[in-house]
This record gives sequence, C-alpha cells and structure tokens, in this order.
Amino acid sequence: MRTQSAIVTTGTAERRSPARGAHAGADQPGRLRTRGQALAARIGRLSLLHLLCIVVAVGVFGAPLIYILLVSFNTETGLLGNAWGWPSHFTFANYSAAWVQGDFFREILNSVLYAAVTDAVSLVLGVFLAFPVSRGYLRRSNLWYAFFIFSGFLPPALIPLFIEARWLHIYNNRLGYMLILSLQGAGFFFFVGYIKGIPREREEAAAIDGCSYIRFVFTILMREMKPALAAFAVFGFVGTWNLLILPIILLPKTSLFPVTRGLYSFFGSYQSNEPEIAAATIIVSLPLLVVFLVLQRYLVQGVAGGAMGVGMDKREGQT
Amino acid sequence: MPVSANTMPFGSGALRRWIPLLSISLPLLGWLIFSFGPSAATIFYSLTQYSGEPGTPLNFSGLHNYVQAFSTLLPELRSTIVVTLKFTIGVTVIQNVIGLLLALLLNRRLRAFAVYRAFVFLPQVLSVAVVASMFLLIFNPLTGPAEVIYHWVTGSSSSFFGSSRQALALVVLVNVWMYAGFTMMVYIAGFRNIPGDVYEAAAVDGCGRWRTFTGITWPLLAPATTVNVWLAAMGTLGQFQLILALTGGAENTQTIGMYMYSTAFGTSSQLGYGSMIAVLQFFLTLILGGLLLFLLRRREVQL
Repeated sequence: MRTQSAIVTTGTAERRSPARGAHAGADQPGRLRTRGQALAARIGRLSLLHLLCIVVAVGVFGAPLIYILLVSFNTETGLLGNAWGWPSHFTFANYSAAWVQGDFFREILNSVLYAAVTDAVSLVLGVFLAFPVSRGYLRRSNLWYAFFIFSGFLPPALIPLFIEARWLHIYNNRLGYMLILSLQGAGFFFFVGYIKGIPREREEAAAIDGCSYIRFVFTILMREMKPALAAFAVFGFVGTWNLLILPIILLPKTSLFPVTRGLYSFFGSYQSNEPEIAAATIIVSLPLLVVFLVLQRYLVQGVAGGAMGVGMDKREGQT
Repeated sequence: MPVSANTMPFGSGALRRWIPLLSISLPLLGWLIFSFGPSAATIFYSLTQYSGEPGTPLNFSGLHNYVQAFSTLLPELRSTIVVTLKFTIGVTVIQNVIGLLLALLLNRRLRAFAVYRAFVFLPQVLSVAVVASMFLLIFNPLTGPAEVIYHWVTGSSSSFFGSSRQALALVVLVNVWMYAGFTMMVYIAGFRNIPGDVYEAAAVDGCGRWRTFTGITWPLLAPATTVNVWLAAMGTLGQFQLILALTGGAENTQTIGMYMYSTAFGTSSQLGYGSMIAVLQFFLTLILGGLLLFLLRRREVQL
C-alpha cells in the first residue's frame, strides 16, 4: 500500500516538475551572490529558527516555572502591584516560612523513602516475573502475557484498594503504602521485550558452569539488562514520587505525606499567600528538576526508544 | 509459540520444572492482591450499597446502582460523559497537533535542539501537584499575569479556573502543556524511522516541502500517530488527578474518573455507587478504545 502511494506521489510530482523547476530557479539567487552573502543569509535563517525555538522552549514551556521562581522571591504586597512577578526587592523569607510551615523536610524524606524502596522492589520482582514469561519457560507463556496486558484495561482499582488496605491494616501506614506500590507489577512490560533480545546462550552457558538460577538473574541477566533497568529505575522513581491520588487515599496522616501530597494540602491552607505557595512549589519541584538535569538526555531518549510500547503514567491512570 | 514450555536449563529433575513457577510466584501473588484483584473487585462492589464506614454491612443490592444511574441520576451521568468526551477528544487532538508541530520544529541533530527538546519535555517530570499550583498562580484572577493578558485582549476579566465556561478548556490546555513533550518525542522517533532514501527520491522528483510532507512523511508516520493518539486518548479518559488539583471537579470539569472519586471519597463516601461509576468508566474505555483501534488500523492500512 505504501509503495503504491509513493508511486502516486512521484507521478503527480513529475507532472508538476516543470513549474516547480522554474520556481526553484527563481528561488536560488545564491549563484548571483558571493559565497559570503549566501553564508550570511543562511546564518540569518538559522538564527531566526533558533529564535523561534527559544521562544517556544523557554517562552511557552519554561515560562510557568520562571514566573513561579520570580514570585517566590516577591512579597505579597509587591505582587499586587505588578502581575508579571518581577520582585521589587528580593526576599528569601517565603522559602524559610514555607519550609517550616509545610514540613517539607520530613515530606521529602518520606518521598525519597517511598520512591526508592518501591523502585528497587518492583524492579527485582519485575525481572523475576518477566524472565520466565519472556523466554517461554512457563506453559502457555503467551497466554500469561496476554492476560497481563488485558488486565491493564480493567476498571480502576482505587476503591477496592482503599477497602483492602483498611482490611489488611496497611492503611495509613508507611510500610503498607510501599508494599502496595511495590507489588502492583510495574516493570513487567518494560522488561519482557528487552529480555527477548538477549541471546539464550547466556543462561545455557551459565547453567553448564553450575550457576544457580537466582545467581544468574542477579549477576548475568541483570548486567545484560542494564539499559532497561536504568530506564525503569528513573521512570519508576519519578512515577512514584509524583503520585497524588494514592497518597490522598491511603495516607491521610500528615506525618506520612509524600511531598506532592504535602504541596496539595499546602496550597489549600495558604491560598491567599501566593509568594509562599510559589516558594513551596519550587521546593517541591527542585529534587525532580535536579534529577531531570542530571539524567535529562537519558530520560528523553528513553521515551524516544521505549515509549512505543508503554505510556509513562500507566499506573496512576489505572488505580 | 507452542503451548508446552521451553525447558529451563537451570536445576535438575523436578526442580527444573518448578523454578519458573517459583520465579513468578511472588510478583504474581502481589499483582493478584494489589492490582488484578482490586480491579476485579470493583465489579463486585458496584453491586452493593457499601458506604465504607468501618463496621457497616456491604448491603448487597444487585443492579440497583446501575438502575439508579440510568434513571433518576441520568442527567448527572450524561453531563459527566459529555465532559469526559470533550476532555478526551480535546486533549488528544490538540496534543497531537502541537506535538507534531514541535517535532517538525525541533527534530534537528544540532546540539542546541536537544536543549530545546529538553525544555519541552520537562513539564511531565513535574508532579501534577506542582503543575497545578503553578497554573493556579498564573491564572489567579487577582494577581496572575494571565489576567493582565486576558484583560488586554478581551477588555473584560475572567475567573479562569473558577469560570464554568473556561475551566475545562484551561484544564485541557494545562494537560497538553504537560504532556506535549512526550507526544513530540514519539513523533520524532517516528521521523527517524523513515528511511532517508525516500526523501532523496522525492527531492529528485522535485517534490516541494508540503508535497513531501503530505505524500511521504505523514503516511510513513502512521505508526507513531497511532501510538500517540491511542496513548493520549486512553491516558486522558480516566485521568483526573490534574482536574482534582486544578478545579476539584467544579465548574463543568467533572469527568467520569473525577465523578467516581468524588462519589467514593467526597463528603458522601458511597463506595458502592463509586465502584459502579468505575465499571461504567471501564465500558467507556472499552468502547472508545475499540473504536479508536478500528479506525487507526483501517487508517494505517489505507495509507
């Protein structure tokens, strides 16, 4: 089908080609100019392109963050006079006030704990689940795979999860929250495809050398899977860090709040103090901005390469 | 793939058969208890009047919730579905258009463009809580810069997220702002999968830019478009965290996910009725997902 459409395209193009040719000739005054002028024109066009890109990247996608940063250094009265956020005099008072009132230090520690533990456990479990399924070491491995995929479309589990957590006495409980998040089976889809690309000789050779299954998974397989594991580690960490609904439902106690949940409450309580909210927003986004800056290239490429299969926010959408 | 299993090289005798099962046992159990189980249990709870208060009975009531949803509470359900469809279609269409334009603009191999792409990609790394408080400050009717611009353009003022006519459109906008970078990256991956000699052939044939795009790029981009449309639509349909943080479901922004949430965890705490809405959301996902899959497949074949 595609070749056919390509032929059709070239056909019409050929018919139009004389006109196009004439047009193209008129479009190329470069030959009449000196090489320097052509280069200057090219640089001009290029910098215009860069200008457009900067306007889009910084002006549209960076602007909200920049605005918040400016407001966070402003005072309440200073903000009323000018909506563009530029502070009349810089103050750090909002940060210290937000830091104390929001209890963000404890919340950041909570978030780090939740995200790191969940990430590590679900990564290991994901490998142990994905390896036999991917290799077909189970009877009807494909059926298992189809079943896991299908289950992603079932009704959201939010309400029964809440009932279940209370029933199991893991409601309002740090360990319980991490248990629930770790065991939801994230990672599986990330790994199945990747393992298929690892040659089977690896485990055959290891088995002949007398390597045990568990040792094989932890040493040889995981080393082979490094790029996939790293990608999952980053996305999993960011994903757990950013959860909002689940902590609202499962962790009502303030001392257990992860930092996103904390910011959500903070906004409700200090609504009329915009500079302080801005400072709190910066505090909360800072850890992830640092992660992003360090791993930026990796994150963006991870999406480009691996995203054709799995969406980023699958878990939050599902539960 | 055969029904019987490939033989695992590890262990010996009976152990050899058990290793794969042992390997999946713990993750499978966890997944059954905290993912599959609760999902399936939603259907069960949808048949009860369970209030969620500790110590209260389940109050099994058969299809009563469903009957109620389609009779006395039908207007509520209908407006919810309309809002959900507006939200989903709005985000899917706008995010794909903007994502494609961004991909066309930023798909260059110069180093500077990697930096521009990083900026566009950045918002989705931020938490919904962060994004929501940023935009609530920007669209603050008293102190936000959006008010100044709005006043300058229209000559009147608006309460933005507090306005029942504009809130949904603004939520769509914030959602697109947050995830357009993802859509862009998938389109860029799609661009890079198109072999270069196709373009050379087009250049030899004297195709102009627009013809090259409509005749070659767009049809060969179909797999990326399919992924993007599918992920955007399926991801947005049940999504409500952004809505919860921006409007709390007020001002005509109550999508079906938000309706479920506020019924179950709002002031009334009707877990049974909420579960019923979750099941309806499942059917809505099924219908829309099936329709999309059919259309996208047919489109890919036609192109």
